[in-house]
Amino acid sequence: MSAREPLIVQREVKPLDFLAAGETASEFKELLKSLGIPTDICRRASIVTYEAEMNTVIHGGGGVMSLRLEDDAIIIVAEDQGPGIADLEKAMQEGYSTAPDFVREMGFGAGMGLPNIKKYSDKLEIDTRVGEGTTLRAYIFIKGQREE
Amino acid sequence: MKISEICNSLELKVYWMPDEDVDVKGAVVGDLLSFVMGNAPAGCLWVTIQNHLNVAAVAVLKEIPLVILASGREPSSELISRCESENIALASTSLDAYTICGKLYDLGIRNEERI
Repeated sequence: MSAREPLIVQREVKPLDFLAAGETASEFKELLKSLGIPTDICRRASIVTYEAEMNTVIHGGGGVMSLRLEDDAIIIVAEDQGPGIADLEKAMQEGYSTAPDFVREMGFGAGMGLPNIKKYSDKLEIDTRVGEGTTLRAYIFIKGQREE
Repeated sequence: MKISEICNSLELKVYWMPDEDVDVKGAVVGDLLSFVMGNAPAGCLWVTIQNHLNVAAVAVLKEIPLVILASGREPSSELISRCESENIALASTSLDAYTICGKLYDLGIRNEERI
């Protein structure tokens, strides 16, 4: 438990803005680095942010990314009011993708985004409703595991 | 091996070389950004035919010091300027990805672990 207020940073993500993609991830990474978070944790957090950001850009119709730094965990949240994920179980499978062709030609949409997020986070929560949107919460525990 | 040695030995066309003395640790080849993001070892070089801005985004996050565009792909102007601002060396070759990877292997570039 901490008496300190957690640090929270929010960034808007625009729909289909591929040129800006990656900026949030880089910014979060630099911020975490500047706060003395270990390099490996910064790298994992930035990969999770980038993949979640790309999902918001490609599928979510834009949304909001946020970074929350608590004493024992980094929490990355991606929120959108997009179409939702119809079959979450399938979406978690590597290789399954509903991305359009023009996105695939850019090297996205390989069905690896959510599996990568799962791989690089310690805990993943996805709350999705068809027609309403998706909220993804990825936790990276700073000391390898959650402290009591 | 230093990135400048690699670029010279393989006669790559260099667009941007912020620091000639940076060493690479292995190599990854691929055009699926999530694959590279998920699997490339940090600090390796990257051979790809993708030439848009997100290549730089992935390179930054994975701390990739050198990107080589294969099959004569030219980088977009946005990619060049992002590589400049992020200190990523950017080069290209007319050779295809398979052939340039063979030459990198001949130079002694190896991966310590299986990707």
